[in-house]
Amino acid sequence: MKYISFITTKSAVTMFAIGVIALASCSKKLDEAYLNPNNPVEGAIEAILPNTINQMTSTAAPPAGGGGGSYGPAAEAVNMARYIQFWNAVGTNDNYDQMGGVYATASDNTGLVWAMHYYGIGANAKFIISRGIQQEKWDYVGVAHAIFAYSWLTLTEEYGEVIMRQAFDGSRSTFEYNTQSDVYDSVRVMCDNAITYLNMTGGNVSAANLKLGDAYFLGGDVNKWKKFVYGIKARTFAHLSNKSFYATKGYADSVIKYSDLSVSANAENATQKWTGGNFSGTNNYYGPFRGNIGSIRQTAFIADLLSGASTASPFTGVFDPRTPYLINENTNGTYRGVVPNLGTSGLAAADQPKTFWRQPFSSTSTAVPDSGRYIFNNLAPFPVLTAADVQFMKAEAAFRKGDKALALAAYTKGINMSFDLLISEYQTRVPGNLQITDATRNAYFANTKVIPASPAGLTLTMIMLQKYIALYGYGFSETWTDMRRYHYTDLDPATGKQVYAGFTLPTTLTIFNNGKPVYRARPRYNSEYLYNIPNLQLIGALASDYHTKEHWFSQP
Amino acid sequence: MVALLLFIFSLPVLGQSQTVSGTVKDTEKNLPLAGVTVKVVGTTSTSQTNESGSFTIKANKGQVLLLSYVGFETLRYTVDGTSLTIKLKSAVTELDEVVVAMDIKRKSRDLGYSTQVVKGEDLKETQRESFVNGLQGRIAGATITSTSGVPGASSTIVLRGFNSLSLDNQPLFVIDGVIRDNSTIDAAASVPAAAGQNNTSNDFTNRIADLNPNDIESITVLKGPEATVLYGSAASNGAIVITTKRAKITSGKRLNINYDNSFRFQSLQNTPSVFNGFQQGNNGVLNNGTFSAFGPAMPEGTKLYDNIGNFFKNGFGQTHNLGVDFGTMKSSYRASVSYFDQTGVVPGTRLQRINFRLTNTTKIGKYIEITPSFGYSNSDNDKALKGAGGYLLNLFQWPATDDAQNYLLSNGNKRYLINTNNTADNAGLGTIAETDNPFFAVYRNQSRDKTNNYDANLAINYNPTKWLTVAGRFGYNYYTTDGYQYRDPESASQSSMANQGQLDNYFYKVATYNHTISASAKKNFGKFNTRLTVGTRWNQLEFQNYGISGTKDSIRSFDSSSTGIATRTRLSRATLYGTENWNLRKSYQVAAFTEATVSYANVIFLTGSIAFESSSILPSANRNYSYPGGSLSVIMSDIFPKMKGGILNYWKLRGSLASTARLPSPYANQSNFVPTVTSNALPANLTPLQYAFTNANPDLKPERQNTYEVGTEIRLFNDVVSIDAAYYNAIASDQIAQGFRASYGSGFVLNTANNSSVRNQGIEISLGIKAIRKKDFDWNIQFNFNHMWNQVLAIPASIDISGGDYYDASTWLYNNARGGIRPGYSTGTISSFGYLRQNLTPTGANGVTSNNGAIVINGTTGLPLNNAFFRVRADRTIWVTLGTINRFRYKNWNLSFLWDLRVGGDIFNATNMYLTNLGKSTKTADRLTPRVVTGVIQNGLENTANATVNNILVTPYWNSAYYGSTSMPEEDYMERDVKAFRLRDISLSYRFPESVLTNRRRNMDAPGVIDYLPIKSLSFFITCNDLLLFTNYSGADPAANGGNASLRGVGAVGFDYGNIAAPLSFNAGLRVGF
Repeated sequence: MKYISFITTKSAVTMFAIGVIALASCSKKLDEAYLNPNNPVEGAIEAILPNTINQMTSTAAPPAGGGGGSYGPAAEAVNMARYIQFWNAVGTNDNYDQMGGVYATASDNTGLVWAMHYYGIGANAKFIISRGIQQEKWDYVGVAHAIFAYSWLTLTEEYGEVIMRQAFDGSRSTFEYNTQSDVYDSVRVMCDNAITYLNMTGGNVSAANLKLGDAYFLGGDVNKWKKFVYGIKARTFAHLSNKSFYATKGYADSVIKYSDLSVSANAENATQKWTGGNFSGTNNYYGPFRGNIGSIRQTAFIADLLSGASTASPFTGVFDPRTPYLINENTNGTYRGVVPNLGTSGLAAADQPKTFWRQPFSSTSTAVPDSGRYIFNNLAPFPVLTAADVQFMKAEAAFRKGDKALALAAYTKGINMSFDLLISEYQTRVPGNLQITDATRNAYFANTKVIPASPAGLTLTMIMLQKYIALYGYGFSETWTDMRRYHYTDLDPATGKQVYAGFTLPTTLTIFNNGKPVYRARPRYNSEYLYNIPNLQLIGALASDYHTKEHWFSQP
Repeated sequence: MVALLLFIFSLPVLGQSQTVSGTVKDTEKNLPLAGVTVKVVGTTSTSQTNESGSFTIKANKGQVLLLSYVGFETLRYTVDGTSLTIKLKSAVTELDEVVVAMDIKRKSRDLGYSTQVVKGEDLKETQRESFVNGLQGRIAGATITSTSGVPGASSTIVLRGFNSLSLDNQPLFVIDGVIRDNSTIDAAASVPAAAGQNNTSNDFTNRIADLNPNDIESITVLKGPEATVLYGSAASNGAIVITTKRAKITSGKRLNINYDNSFRFQSLQNTPSVFNGFQQGNNGVLNNGTFSAFGPAMPEGTKLYDNIGNFFKNGFGQTHNLGVDFGTMKSSYRASVSYFDQTGVVPGTRLQRINFRLTNTTKIGKYIEITPSFGYSNSDNDKALKGAGGYLLNLFQWPATDDAQNYLLSNGNKRYLINTNNTADNAGLGTIAETDNPFFAVYRNQSRDKTNNYDANLAINYNPTKWLTVAGRFGYNYYTTDGYQYRDPESASQSSMANQGQLDNYFYKVATYNHTISASAKKNFGKFNTRLTVGTRWNQLEFQNYGISGTKDSIRSFDSSSTGIATRTRLSRATLYGTENWNLRKSYQVAAFTEATVSYANVIFLTGSIAFESSSILPSANRNYSYPGGSLSVIMSDIFPKMKGGILNYWKLRGSLASTARLPSPYANQSNFVPTVTSNALPANLTPLQYAFTNANPDLKPERQNTYEVGTEIRLFNDVVSIDAAYYNAIASDQIAQGFRASYGSGFVLNTANNSSVRNQGIEISLGIKAIRKKDFDWNIQFNFNHMWNQVLAIPASIDISGGDYYDASTWLYNNARGGIRPGYSTGTISSFGYLRQNLTPTGANGVTSNNGAIVINGTTGLPLNNAFFRVRADRTIWVTLGTINRFRYKNWNLSFLWDLRVGGDIFNATNMYLTNLGKSTKTADRLTPRVVTGVIQNGLENTANATVNNILVTPYWNSAYYGSTSMPEEDYMERDVKAFRLRDISLSYRFPESVLTNRRRNMDAPGVIDYLPIKSLSFFITCNDLLLFTNYSGADPAANGGNASLRGVGAVGFDYGNIAAPLSFNAGLRVGF
């Protein structure tokens, strides 16, 4: 019996051992069957970068299989740039004209940057980083960090508290929010990381290879990417101008330092270009092919500022030669614009501005082919960061620091850069008689209302208004951030006049504003207001006037 | 071994002086038993009874005969004469030997969990084309839902309720120890979509239905997850263990031939009642340009056509089965052939099936027995498209003033009813769309698939010693399904007219291989008996599919080459990689398992088991998992023998604990990229990519389920009454929610995560009563009772917190109702829009309102307002089911019938909603009667105690919106607490006495064929399916399913949208044995 028992045990052990060996030897076969053969779970990072870059302006839904619609700041600005009166609605009583947000409505409006960041860029940029490190394509890794830095900063400046530490954890179904100051700190770290990787050579770093993924943005030039990153980093300091530590920590010096490292010529501008064709994804969001801006019109604020009609503006009476480039003349040949919330704003028919596609005021239809000017065409390059932008950032910092000479130099350069860009990129369809000539340009620069005779004549108003003009149309996020820093109507202590001279808040605000101007957007409805409510509650985002809550960045 | 001994001892044996002859009969039925082994104890003398139950053996008076026969108690009989009549008692207490591990039987008393056995004969007797449908009512705790009553319809079987919200809830099918695929093609995932393929409009047979019912010897149902140790995590929903027939070769009989046939007549008894009292139009105004029937009353004497009656036809079917056993005792064969052909009650539907199976059993040497088998089936299913845009809804919609049978013009073009000027679209220009005539829909829109199914299995048993068994089971199964779905260029269905015809061709091939090798050793230590089994298992599944969709198929060919080249689209894999690769979905699984049983004195049995499994579905870091189980069986009546007496014969208590895992679909944890369009200068070999919407979570773990079960088995009154009762409680946690919405913070739009859980509980009782046991008359009754309840414990927090419902989009069939799931409710809930009601205590976000306040009425129209949120409004969970089987035998007559009772569970009668919206349900008959909708006016006071009571008079005749989905929302069409009592199967058969057959007078003067046939047995039968249905459900049939068996989770059971009832079937045939 003992013998049998032994056999039993032995055969059991043997069988079990066979089983264990089978398990081990099968594991290789299991590995073979693991990967999804039907759809790519891996992709060349060169093929993933173009769309990830494109997210920084606007994207379109891919033809099949999911992937997101029209996300990005350009798309967002169609509604939200009404807050800063880049444009306003063609009709009356528009929610965004009235500085409204999305409340008590199942709308994803004002959630396009949210989608851009978390869905459009997030997993894709993370993938580029992880595979880029494996493949030693440090330039790609740096670029992905740069995009992230841009994206996180743009995100928090629109929404304030955002999901950061728990972001991209695919096992979670609820996500906590982090403070804006955390995000700012992180963005600087991302900028540093981006620079570190962009500085790395060796491995599989190759400008030619980077250009594969980056052909339509910075052309694979890591130096331009570095300048882009320094521009983002400069912003992280510039935007904290209301903080007491702005002065104590010498943030103005940081702005100047990183501005100097950033884009200094239009050739270095970070600009999305387009291949065009019959696809939304390869055309400018504001062009007639995509047809997204039929219901917005140039505002009285920009029209009066450019034409010199604004009596509050320091440039009153000065016709800006850039006017016909940026906005459109009416049938009278003058430049007029709408007032928020008022539709035609009482303008006589002949005074009513044309649409951005240069159709009659009331026409909301698209015009094919291209008929608009500036960035409102299918193939018009769409800037993300320009030399003018950086110069004005530097000018403001220098001015705040008290170095008015430096401020004036940067200010002047900024205007010059703006002129240069318009002439080189956006002169098409500006009639010959309205084009900038040396004479008109020189006259403008010679006008001391524009360029003061001495640094002492420079004001904050001049800097911010010229920046507003230079960034008109494309620089919604930066301009809104600037205007919120000045609470739209803050007075310049030096002059006692409004920094954004001539800017008036809409006379009617939505009932949810409780009389306050808009300061932020609600996170995307179909992301947060349906699926992350407890965390929204913690940051007070369920309040009906949440969109009027001021950001940390603009608070003292 | 036994057979070998028989073989040896059937040689003449010397040394016995006396020849004893006898007859062995069954105690109960008093029928002769053939094949009983008769052995003289203490000698080598052995014999066997022949067909008439008689035997002869050499034995002296006083010697003891040992009579043994499967299914009967072994009897020791002392020889007391030379002509003996011996009666064997059926081994009631041990009769229920059940197949558990592979195809090895285990005694029921050993088992600590519940099993139930159904005989193949009983299933075959139902004459149902798929044996799965025959199981309804025969297994306590099994719910079988057939998608529809047309030939080839898929059937869903679920044991013990829905444990998984997102994964498959169907049990594993095992045939002779080999795992067999029972999948149903998921049209939404597997077929390109030019013609709108989905699981609502099309149906595909669940592939286990390819098994010939005539090949089934018996079915053991393992209801709980205990079987997972033996069959792997694929059996986490239980297992249906099928044993096929083997050759019944005895030494005296080396050829058996059985033939049977059945001829079937089918007709549809129930259709939803359609009301035809009013003409076409809206708001009482005649308008022949609409299908809505809200026009003026039908004028006296209007000629009305019985379109519904004209549409459905009688179905005819025939089945022929031939089974042949041949060979020797050492190597025996069984060959079976079957032919099945059925046309359905819906015109144009037909299923033809041919089955072939060959099984051999061969003994090699002393210790080895091998059983190879090969099976083949070919089925050809001609189908009609159902659901939205399908024939049935079109049929109901068609005005009775028009004869729908005239669906073509004399020139062969479609005849339009509303758009009479139909010249424009004849060129396929697609300018005129009009709902298809139902006849047009079934004759011109075609769907058909053909399946070839092969399987090859090998069983090896090696018994080197008495205590050791080594067994191997190897099974390979390969099938292909080729099909198409075609919509005519003139069809208004989908966008066919604009597309000038739509054709989807799809090709599906499935290869599965699995083997299990185990060793089992037994050893006794005094009163302790032990058994140890160890084994390993490999399970491999490969599904491939390919499809081509195209349009502009104007020549009405069903080959993709007839579509416009530029219109053809292929599966995503093909488009992405440039080459025409088939989509491939494969998974491999390997496991090692062990099971140990210790029993004491054959009265207490304790079993413990554990399986270690690895799956290719998970990445190597987390692909290994294990699940333990344990069970206890205690035979109380043997521990305390004093209990046994006049009343109690047997009492067993049992209990088990089992853990199991459930795996996600392959690749559900791998997010993938999709091609995108963006400005780029990439080289030609690179396409711009971006991540698709879905976060296929790489950290996915298997779902876990912990089940405990307690049960008892009792036999009373000399085994007249037998009871098997069980209570179970299962918690399925870490459930994988697929495609759920959450914050984009995850980096995606749709998500996958282990974050749901469900508790399932139930009571199952099987009660058998042998009411009458007489020589000429038996009456047996069996009740199968089931009561289940369950609760969703958690759904993804992101959905839960907003009061949302987790749902499968496949259940969102019509308007705004779907199988939405909420924590705290059962898994079978339906969420839908409903009436806006008074909300005296506001409960917050998203319009959550109480369900019982007064309806809030629009103060202008007097019509109810809508609460346009998906809230739980009904529950499909059936409260109780009770199957009652009665069997009568009077002499050679047998009568059996199965009543199936269902109590409780709600149904969304979307068909009725559809008809009401059209003004064609009986609900709209009294539209001329003015009425005031009971409720309160929405005027700012509606949520206060001073609400204004509505007094606005509405005459629906003048305001068709009264019957619209806003003022009469989905909530109104939830039919509550549906009860149904159905006579599922009734069968009467007559078996000719053997004496008649053997002693029949052959007319050799003028011999016919029959006079030469050595007929051994002959019987005739008639069987009716679905003969009677008593129900409070207003629709056609409460056994409604809006989807098909490919749906996962709870599926679309309980959604009645264009379903047809199970037709009445009348079968008659004969069985003959040679």
